[in-house]
Amino acid sequence: MLFAVDFFLRRLLQGLVIIVLVAMLIFTLLRIVPGDPVRIMLGPMVSAEVAEETAQKMGLRDPIPVQFARYVGQVASGDFGRSFVRSAQGASTGGSRGGDTFDAANRASVMGLILIALPYSLLLAGLSFAIAMAVSLPIGIAAGLKSGRWPDRMALYLSSVFVSLPNIWLALVLIFLVSVKGGLLPAIGYRNWTYAILPAIVLAIELTPVFIRSASVAVSSNMMESYVPSGMIRGLSRKRMIVAHVLRNSMIPMLNVVGIQAIGLLLGSLFVIEYAFNYPGVGLLMINAVFQRDFPVIQAIAILACMVLVVVNILVDFAATTIDRRLQY
Amino acid sequence: MSAELAPMLPKTPTKSHGPRTLSATMFANAWRTTEFRIGFFIFFGLILLSVVGPSLLGVSPTKFSVADKFLPPLGFEGGSWSHVLGTDQLGRDLFARSLIGLRNALMIGVVSVVGMFLIGSIIGMIAGYVGGWVDLILMRITDAQMAIPVIILAITILGVSRPTPVTIVCVLILAGWPAYARTARSVMLSERRKEYVRAAKILGASNLRILLVHIAPNILPPIAFVAVLDVARMMIIEAILGFIGIGIQPPTPTFGTIIADGTKYLMNAWWITTVPGLLLAISLCGINLMGGALERARNKLLQGVS
Repeated sequence: MLFAVDFFLRRLLQGLVIIVLVAMLIFTLLRIVPGDPVRIMLGPMVSAEVAEETAQKMGLRDPIPVQFARYVGQVASGDFGRSFVRSAQGASTGGSRGGDTFDAANRASVMGLILIALPYSLLLAGLSFAIAMAVSLPIGIAAGLKSGRWPDRMALYLSSVFVSLPNIWLALVLIFLVSVKGGLLPAIGYRNWTYAILPAIVLAIELTPVFIRSASVAVSSNMMESYVPSGMIRGLSRKRMIVAHVLRNSMIPMLNVVGIQAIGLLLGSLFVIEYAFNYPGVGLLMINAVFQRDFPVIQAIAILACMVLVVVNILVDFAATTIDRRLQY
Repeated sequence: MSAELAPMLPKTPTKSHGPRTLSATMFANAWRTTEFRIGFFIFFGLILLSVVGPSLLGVSPTKFSVADKFLPPLGFEGGSWSHVLGTDQLGRDLFARSLIGLRNALMIGVVSVVGMFLIGSIIGMIAGYVGGWVDLILMRITDAQMAIPVIILAITILGVSRPTPVTIVCVLILAGWPAYARTARSVMLSERRKEYVRAAKILGASNLRILLVHIAPNILPPIAFVAVLDVARMMIIEAILGFIGIGIQPPTPTFGTIIADGTKYLMNAWWITTVPGLLLAISLCGINLMGGALERARNKLLQGVS
């Protein structure tokens, strides 16, 4: 118990430092790029004085460190600010509106926008994880058990092909073959959960090589350990040895890969695939926000994505140390 | 004493006499595998094709010709020798466009990986050599960098600034250097205490010479395959950026923009997305074969050493 508290305190503190650094980087980047956010909010029709006044009122003319400190304060209380361009009713505004109708309460809160989109992304991510696991675990374990023989070679070729497929292109090919030609699955937008299947398959194909590799490496290296023959000498069957010991010991390296590499991969690809399928998740929200230069939304999603990675990292390490206490943290 | 000894010592270990370095052995082992050779020939064939191909074809990749629009590839109904792989919605030759796209993707992939390799190695070696608070700060920065997925960083920066090839390469380097810095640092930490470094020091080699000539080559074995695989990764990211519309801007053709163009005509002109996509997939396959072979060669080397 004391171990867990110590572990989490130490790692959360480290994680916090990382997140603040990331937030600082993103925040500064978005402040130094050309383009005045006030113009984006109010549109080109507003006079310079009104724009300047609004900017002053919103604190956009303060020095960047001051703005950042204020932003951190807000985020710490769970408030990611309000969108520059989306109104609370959901429609995207901005552009041609007059300055007199500009009103902070009218704009959608960033957290609200993210919370609406998040379940869709979670569904997609969960589905792709499940598909990838179902496909790659049997192949990876078989490859690890028969290292150097045909299952190993097959797994290698399969992952080489999968890893060489550009995800956007694969998405379009699948939309064309499965959805347009075959009429088997719906593809663009979202009406019910079946719309998540095709994008999930694309993501799963991207995850599969990572899973297969880590499973086969973990299993094959464990099979070479001396505990395998010694267990069998003591009368345990090969099957029991594999199921009870090899697979359990293979979980730690797998957990590492699945947790860190796969989540990192997924966080990037999810955005692109959601865009390609026009799937209304967090990724589409982010890419649309980039097009509309909706800075509060961009920085909130970027920071949250990093938080997810950091937290997953901590959880993975914690799980690994609980499974195997020899590991240091 | 040392002046007398000096002429007897070989100045640099030559290939034929001295023992081969670890990285040379690794590359030689990788080269012996079929996968590496296949990948190598695919990769360099494509580089050659992308350099000389467009001028050999004699077709402009950007010239419109409304009369020739939506021509399918050779072998399909309506296809012709004048446009072997068909044309797009404006009648531009797809093969020529894809080759230019390949050239851009390769350039961005290779330049950005070389950049992140150099910058990451230098920073990592400094961190490992100097140690102390410099090391601490640099490693915390790499921690923070590694917590941002590449694509998110690229979308954020390129989406709000003007994307040019130079900014794209810079963003990719910014996103990719930490992994190299970490490897370089750990190599530095483990090598600097070894016998041969002390021996070199006793022989009067300067710190800089020890760093560059003796320690730096040891960074290659653990990172060469990562760098090769990263070229493929960066090419995919370049295509993704183009697809979203924040890569190299039109009229310069890139894989991403051609594929994005083709999405609107997926129903009746499937080849517009297929041709660049296949070319990209083939080049990625070649690079990944090389990277995989290098990785296995390196693993074998490690097993042999320990």
